[in-house]
Amino acid sequence: MLVAAVAMLDSRAGALVDRSGTEPGGIGAGFYPFWSAALVLVCAGVVGYKAWTTRTPGPPAFEGRESVVAVLKLIVPMVVATFAILWLGFYIVSGLYMGLFARWIGRYSWLVTAALVVGLPAAIYASFELGFRVPLPKSFLYDSGLLPF
Amino acid sequence: MEFFNVLGDLAGGFGTALQPFNLFMLFIGVVLGLVVGVLPGLGGTSAVAILLPITVIIARTSPTSAVILLAGVYWGALFGGVVTSILFNIPGEPWSVVLLFDGFPLAKRKGKPGVALASSFFASFVGALLATVMFTFFARALAEVALSFGPPELFAVFIMSFATLIGLGAESPAKAVMMIGFGLLLAAIGFDTITGQPRLAFGQVALLSGISFVPVTIGLFGIGEILASAEESGIGFVERLSAKVGFKDLVETLGELRKRIWLVVATAVIGFWFGILPGHGATAGSFLGYGLARQWSTNRENFGKGEISGIMAPQASADAAAVGSLVPMIALGVPGSPTSAVIMAGLFIWGLTPGPQLFVEHHDFVWGLIASIYLGHLLTFIICIAAVPLLASIMRVPYAILTPFIVLISIIGAYSLNNSMLDAFITIVFGLIGYWLRKMKYPLAPLVVAIVLGDSTERTLRQSLIASGGNPGILVESPLAKVLVTLAIILLLLPLIRTIRGRRRTDIDSETVATAID
Repeated sequence: MLVAAVAMLDSRAGALVDRSGTEPGGIGAGFYPFWSAALVLVCAGVVGYKAWTTRTPGPPAFEGRESVVAVLKLIVPMVVATFAILWLGFYIVSGLYMGLFARWIGRYSWLVTAALVVGLPAAIYASFELGFRVPLPKSFLYDSGLLPF
Repeated sequence: MEFFNVLGDLAGGFGTALQPFNLFMLFIGVVLGLVVGVLPGLGGTSAVAILLPITVIIARTSPTSAVILLAGVYWGALFGGVVTSILFNIPGEPWSVVLLFDGFPLAKRKGKPGVALASSFFASFVGALLATVMFTFFARALAEVALSFGPPELFAVFIMSFATLIGLGAESPAKAVMMIGFGLLLAAIGFDTITGQPRLAFGQVALLSGISFVPVTIGLFGIGEILASAEESGIGFVERLSAKVGFKDLVETLGELRKRIWLVVATAVIGFWFGILPGHGATAGSFLGYGLARQWSTNRENFGKGEISGIMAPQASADAAAVGSLVPMIALGVPGSPTSAVIMAGLFIWGLTPGPQLFVEHHDFVWGLIASIYLGHLLTFIICIAAVPLLASIMRVPYAILTPFIVLISIIGAYSLNNSMLDAFITIVFGLIGYWLRKMKYPLAPLVVAIVLGDSTERTLRQSLIASGGNPGILVESPLAKVLVTLAIILLLLPLIRTIRGRRRTDIDSETVATAID
């Protein structure tokens, strides 16, 4: 809680300095964000103060190492996959991402994994690219004409 | 006369809702809602958020079909969460937490899973039906009043909705206010709509057009919820009890329902009015219903051991509150629950302005939606009764497949809105923020409502001040604004009063203990 409060305080400080404040004859563009930021700051102060003065500490943020690992197992591939889309495009990444989970977490056979790796991007291609006509990011191989996705 | 007008409009609405494509959308929505409802760790709000970008495509031909789809998800999720609570003792949705108290005991200890399920389905259906009838007759009246609102009154309504979020629901008022402030700040990013000045963009061109609430909500709810549930239950999953609803169960449940019909009616009516208050919706409604049932019951000791009233009352109240939460969205442009906040975000994206003007400018849309609420609940009810074993089997879908699928769909959803990878990154970042906020017990409802209402709140405030030449007195000039602002202040003071009363009570308690020891 305290960490979040401090993070808020820290990030909001930028907004505070950045604001111009009020303008004569009414309020300017900066008025609203300034006071919103002030609201966050004051409340972060209150929450932080409460956390500081409460003698009994709350439960720890994570219950044991397993839960941290469980969350990281999700977060790391997710972040890596999102960045990889910029380079490999959506379809290749979605196949690899799905395959990773199927094999690593689900412990499926290679056959099932392969079916997922090919099947899911194909299904997404059929429904989004062809059906809804929503073009999704393509890989660098698409630009050079080597791959259709 | 008014009565017949409403009936005429409703008939027209059924004409719209019964069109084959709309029925199809309703079916898809309800089934999707049931699926996400059954699955713990994925809620109705997330599903609605993830679907938003897809509805943009549907809304190009008909916004009514799009809203029918999203509302269908809401109704499906309301019923679906129950199945998981009763059969697996895991809440599928926040609003089905209450059903753990009596639903699971009735299913397991008393060996009546069929009756437990049927009780909740019947109660949901009756509750929702009553609420929809009230919706049909009150929404327009409310909208007609709202049409006379100027910027100061609207500003007062927004302030009151924020105040309700703080005063009634939140465990920690400071955290709720903080979330509201954070949401308002996020809404303020980009060009100022009145003066055109760039705000909080920090020189980044990408931020000048502002942060769209779609990737933010997909992240907060979709990704955030998966992360939270991965931590709670691990990425793998265990299977529990399974059941179906037989004819005998239905007959027995109908008998039980007849005995409790007034309880169901009363909790539904109260739930509906409670749902209208901004920011609450089904979850708070379900707890309210359970509390009332327990308070009114002559055999309180049965609660927690499989009492049917403890299933029926919260269900009726939760469903009625969910329907009620759409009323202020349609009539005032203020969302009544997090899910309706996301649906309201959809309305904005489709180019509609939620609020009283909808009744005038998009008559077919509003009545089509209202008619679809009747149909949606009927459809959900029938599917539930017929296909409980199928629904329960959804729990067998391995998380190793489901989790990456949800992440990918969330990324597609965020990206496809503006064909921008920045939105996909925003979704991931807000997924992490949402997960952390959940963990630190910060309420997400005020944040979402503030993001959705931020612009309107600021616009009405500044329009009022421009009209009055900078005199803030205009905000409380009209009698209505005075009443609303007073209500808001009372709501804001509620937590303070509660704390003081709580403190006094603990003082008394410790005194009693002290005397007893002496």
